[in-house]
Amino acid sequence: MTHGQSTIRNEVQYWRILAFVVALGLIFSLFIARLFVLQIMQTVDWTAKAEENSTEEINIPSLRGIIYDRNGVILAENEAAYNVVITAANLPDDDGAIQEIYRQLSRLIGVPVNLNKISPENPYVPCISEHGIAQIAEYGESSTPYQPVAVKCDVDRRIAMMVKEKSVDWPGVDIEIQALREYPTGSLTASLVGFLGPVPAALEDFYVEQGLVPNRDKVGYAGIELQYQDVLAGVNGRRVVQTDVAGQELRDVQPPISARPGLSLQLTIDARLQRAAEDILKTEMDDWNRHFGDLRYTSGVVIAANPKTGEILAMVSYPSYENNRMARLIPAYYYNQLVNDPTNPLLNHAVGDVLPAGSVFKLTTAMGALNEGVVTPDQIISTPPEIEVTERYYANDPGQARKFVDWNKAGFGHLDFVHGLANSSNVYFYKLGGGYKDEIPNGGLGICRLKTYAAGLGYGDAAGIYLPDEEDGLLPDPTWKRINQSESWSSGDTYIASVGQGYVLATPVQVLYSAMIVANDGKFIQPTLIRQVIDSNGEVVPMWRNADGDLIREPAPGSFQVSPFEPHLKWDLTVDPLIQEFGETTIRGCEPILGQTKTVQPWVFDVIKQGMRLAVTSGTLERQFENATVLAAGKTGTAEYCDKYANARNLCIPGSWPTHAWTIGYAPFDNPEIAVVAYVYNGGEGASVAGPIIRRTMEAYFELKNIDSGTVQAQ
Amino acid sequence: MRSGISIASNWRYFDFWLLGAVFLLIIFGVTMISSAIAGNIELVELNLVQRQLIFALAGTVLMLIVAAIDYRLWASISRPMYVITILLLATLYIVGSALYGSARWFDTGVILIQPSEIAKIVLIMILADFFTRNMERMGNLVWIGRSFLTTMGITIWILLQPNLSTAIVMLVLWFTMLWASGLRLQHLLMFVIGAITLPLVAFPFLVDYQQRRVLNFLFPDPNASYGEIYNIQQALIAIGSGGLLGQGYGHGTQVQLRFLKVRWSDFIFSAMAQEFGFVGIVLVMGVIVFVILRCLRAARLASDSFGALLAVGVATMIAFQTIVNIGVNLNLMPATGLTLPFVSYGGSSLLSILIGIGLVQSVVLRHRQLEF
Repeated sequence: MTHGQSTIRNEVQYWRILAFVVALGLIFSLFIARLFVLQIMQTVDWTAKAEENSTEEINIPSLRGIIYDRNGVILAENEAAYNVVITAANLPDDDGAIQEIYRQLSRLIGVPVNLNKISPENPYVPCISEHGIAQIAEYGESSTPYQPVAVKCDVDRRIAMMVKEKSVDWPGVDIEIQALREYPTGSLTASLVGFLGPVPAALEDFYVEQGLVPNRDKVGYAGIELQYQDVLAGVNGRRVVQTDVAGQELRDVQPPISARPGLSLQLTIDARLQRAAEDILKTEMDDWNRHFGDLRYTSGVVIAANPKTGEILAMVSYPSYENNRMARLIPAYYYNQLVNDPTNPLLNHAVGDVLPAGSVFKLTTAMGALNEGVVTPDQIISTPPEIEVTERYYANDPGQARKFVDWNKAGFGHLDFVHGLANSSNVYFYKLGGGYKDEIPNGGLGICRLKTYAAGLGYGDAAGIYLPDEEDGLLPDPTWKRINQSESWSSGDTYIASVGQGYVLATPVQVLYSAMIVANDGKFIQPTLIRQVIDSNGEVVPMWRNADGDLIREPAPGSFQVSPFEPHLKWDLTVDPLIQEFGETTIRGCEPILGQTKTVQPWVFDVIKQGMRLAVTSGTLERQFENATVLAAGKTGTAEYCDKYANARNLCIPGSWPTHAWTIGYAPFDNPEIAVVAYVYNGGEGASVAGPIIRRTMEAYFELKNIDSGTVQAQ
Repeated sequence: MRSGISIASNWRYFDFWLLGAVFLLIIFGVTMISSAIAGNIELVELNLVQRQLIFALAGTVLMLIVAAIDYRLWASISRPMYVITILLLATLYIVGSALYGSARWFDTGVILIQPSEIAKIVLIMILADFFTRNMERMGNLVWIGRSFLTTMGITIWILLQPNLSTAIVMLVLWFTMLWASGLRLQHLLMFVIGAITLPLVAFPFLVDYQQRRVLNFLFPDPNASYGEIYNIQQALIAIGSGGLLGQGYGHGTQVQLRFLKVRWSDFIFSAMAQEFGFVGIVLVMGVIVFVILRCLRAARLASDSFGALLAVGVATMIAFQTIVNIGVNLNLMPATGLTLPFVSYGGSSLLSILIGIGLVQSVVLRHRQLEF
C-alpha cells in the first residue's frame, strides 16, 4: 500500500460522480419518454403533417367545349394566348446577367424594368396589375421560385416566338400558353352565346366544389355560355405531387386524373341567316333614320324559326356587345358603358325584354272569338273610326263613357273576320274582346277566356328556350290587377287587352311562338337552340332534357331528346284540351270550372291563316310585300308604350303615345317552314319598319336554302 | 510538483471502447450530414461531408497528441493559458468580424476558428487546477465566489459576443466541477434557488432575439406556424413522422425536401429521428451516453484530483451540449445554437470535443493501478 501525498490523490468523491450519472439517467429517460410519445403514440398525426408539408394538389384545367352553328361555323372557341413568364429559380446567378436579361426583355415586350413596387396596397395580380419586370421577378422569387409568374399577358404570336427563341440565352424567361375564349362571330352572336368571366365571389363555394379554381378558371356569365356551363366546362383533372420546400414538383404521389374536356354544342342557329337578319335590321333602321334625319330607331329584335321543328334559325338582339373584349377580363369602363346604355345591350331582348305586343296579339283574340263562337267568320261587324263604351269597374257600376279609336281614322266601315284581321281593325277586335251592345252580346270573349287562349299561343309563361334572360311576360286578369294595381278590373281593360295593349306584356320570342303555332295549325313544337351535343372526339352525345330543364345522359320519365335533335311536340291545341272553361266572370275574378277544358277546332286556324295571308296580299302588309316571290302570311303590330326613356323625352302624350313596331309572318303560307318576328323599339307604325325586315329575312332564308340545295350558286 | 513519484503512461490502458464509441458517432454524423445536404446544390458545393471528415481526422490526430502529453502539464501552465485566452477573446470582441450577427469567429484564412470552443477546454483545465488546489476550501462561500470570478473572467467575453449558450455551458462547467470538488448540500440548495430566480431577474437584460426565442418557447403563437416557431415545428414533424423504424436513410421527407432547417447541424437530431426512427435515435443517444459514462469512468480511475476533474469537465461539456441540443429538438427547451457533439456538422466544435476526449484518454493512460 502506498500512501501518496494529498495533491496526488484523487479526492473526488465517488458518490458525487454517481449523482451526476443519476441526473443524466433521469434526463435521458425523459427524452426517451418524449420520443416515445412523438414517434410511437403520435406518429400518425405527425406523418400526416409531414405529408401535408410535402404534397400539393394541382388542378389541371379542362378545355371548354366549342359552340358551333348548325353548319359547323364556330361561334365560340379556345384560342391560345401567349404569356411571357419568369421562373425566378431558373434565372442566372449573376445579378448583372439578370439585369441584362430584364433590359433586353423590356425592349421586346415594352414592360419597364422597374415600375411600381409590389406592396399590400398595390398587390401583384397576374395580367392586371402594372409592375416592372424586376418587381414581378422579385415577387416570384420570394413567393414561389419554381412557379412561373406572368410578366406580360397575351403578347402577339410574333413576340411570343421571339421570346421563345431567346429563352435559351435568357434562362428563367419563357412563354406560357393559356387557353382564352374567342368568339369569331363577335357581337353578331354575343347576346345569344354570351361571354365568360371569373368565378363570382358569391358562387365561389359552388364552383370550387365542382373543382374549379377561382382566379384561373372562367365561367359563363351570359347566354349559352352561362346556360350550359356544366356541359361546356368539362371536369378539371387533378394531380397530387410531392414538392420540396421551394415548391418544386418532384413526382406524382397518386395516379393523376386527367382533365375531361367539356362537350361542344351545335346550335340550331344559322350564322349566315343571323348575319343577314342583323344586316337587314340595321339597314332598315338606318334607312328610316336617314329619312327622318334623326336617330329615331336604335334597337330591335329579329328572330327566325322553323315552326315545324321548333329550331331557332336566327336570334338577333341589336345592339349587342363585343364579347371578345371580355375574353381576358371584363374591362370596367366598357362594362359600365354597356350597363348605362339605354338600349341595354347586355340583355338578350329576344327572350328577356317584356313589351306591349300590340296588334300581333290580336291572333289570340281572333282564335278565342272564333273557337268560342263569339263571332262567325262571315259575320259582318261595323267598324266605325271609334266606338264609345261605358267603362265599368263592377257589375252595377253606372260607369263612364270612354272612347276607343281605330288606328285608321277613317274607319273601315263593315268587315268580316278575315278582313278584320287583315286590316287589323282595332274596333273589330275591341268588339270581339269586350263585346258591343247587341252586335257582340254578353261581353264578347272576356278577359278570362282571352287569357287561356293567349297561354295556348305561348304567352304568359316561358316556353323553355333555355337562355338565362328568358322571361315569362304577363297575362293579366282581375285577380292580378287587384293584387298588383289595387284596383278592380274594368271593362275598358278588357278592350285594351284584346288588342295587346294595357297590362299585356310579351317577349319577342313569345310573339314568334304565336305565329309558329298558328302556322303549324295549333301544334307548338318545343322551341330550341340546341341541335346536338358533341364530345371531344366529334361523336354526337345523346342527351335528353328532363322536366327540370337539365340536360341528362339517359332518358327519364318526362324527358325528351335534345341531342341528336328530334322535334318535340310541346302541345297541339286541336288535340290537347288546354283551353279552360270559365263560369260566370265576376268582379271577384276568373272562376275556372275544374276539369272542364277543351281543344281548339282545326278550322279556326284555317280562317286565321286566311286572314294573315290576306294581310300580305291586300291588308296591312300589302305595300311591304309588293311583288314578293315569297308567299308569306303575316300580322303587324303597333304597340303603344311609355317607358322611362320616352317619358324623359316628353314623348308620352296622352292619346298619342310612342309606339313599338312589330310584325310577324311565316312562309310559304300553305306549308310554312320559316316564321319570323321583327320588333323595332320606338319603331312607329308596325308595318313600315318591321314589315320589310320580315320580308327580307324570309327572302334571305329561301336564298340560303337554294344555295344549300345547289339550285343557286353561292357568290 | 514536489512529489518524486511519477506515474508513467501506459498505452495498455488506452480506452478503446471510448475511442470506438466516438468514431461510431462521427461516422454516424457524417453519414447523416451527407443525407441531409443531398439535393441542395449550394451545400453540396461547400463539401460539408469532406470538411467534416478532414476535421475528424485532424481532431483524431490532436486527440492522440493530447493523450500522449501528460495532462498534469496543463495544470502547470494554467495561469498563462488563462491570460492568453482572455486576451484572445477580448481582441475578438473588439476587432472581431461580424458573422451571423455576432463576433464569434477568427478567420485564419484557411478555416474559421471559433475561440469560444477552445475557451471551453481552457476553462476546464483552469477550473480543474483551481479546484484541485483549493478542494478543502470549497466549503467556504468566499472561495466558491473566487472560483466563480475566475470562470467569469473568460465567460464575460463570451457573453459580450453575445453567445449566451456557450456562456451557459461555461457556467454549467463551473457548477458541475464545483459539485465534484465537494460543494456542500446547503450551498447547492442556495444555488438552485438562485438558478430559479436569476433568469427572471436577468430576462430584461437579454438581447432582443434572445428574449424572442425564450418567449416563443414559453408561449408559442398558435397562428404563427410559418413565423418564428417554424423551425421547431418542422423538427417535431420530422421526429414524429419517423415512427418506430424511420422513413429510411435518404428518404426522410422533411430532410430531403428541405422543410427542416439547419438539418446538418442544430437539427441533425430531428433528421436522424425521421430517417432512423425511434430505434435508431435511441441507439445514437445510447452511444452518446456511453461516451459520457466512459469519461466519468476516467474520473473515477484518475490518479489525482486534477485528472478526475478534467474528466468530469469533459463529461459535463459533452453531456450538457447533448442535453440542450436534444431538448431543443424535442421542444423541451428554447432554441439555442448548441450542436449535437460528434454528430452535428461543425469543425471547431468537433475539434474541441476531440481534444477533450484526448484529455480524458491522457488521464486514463496515467491512472494508478489499484493495488490490493
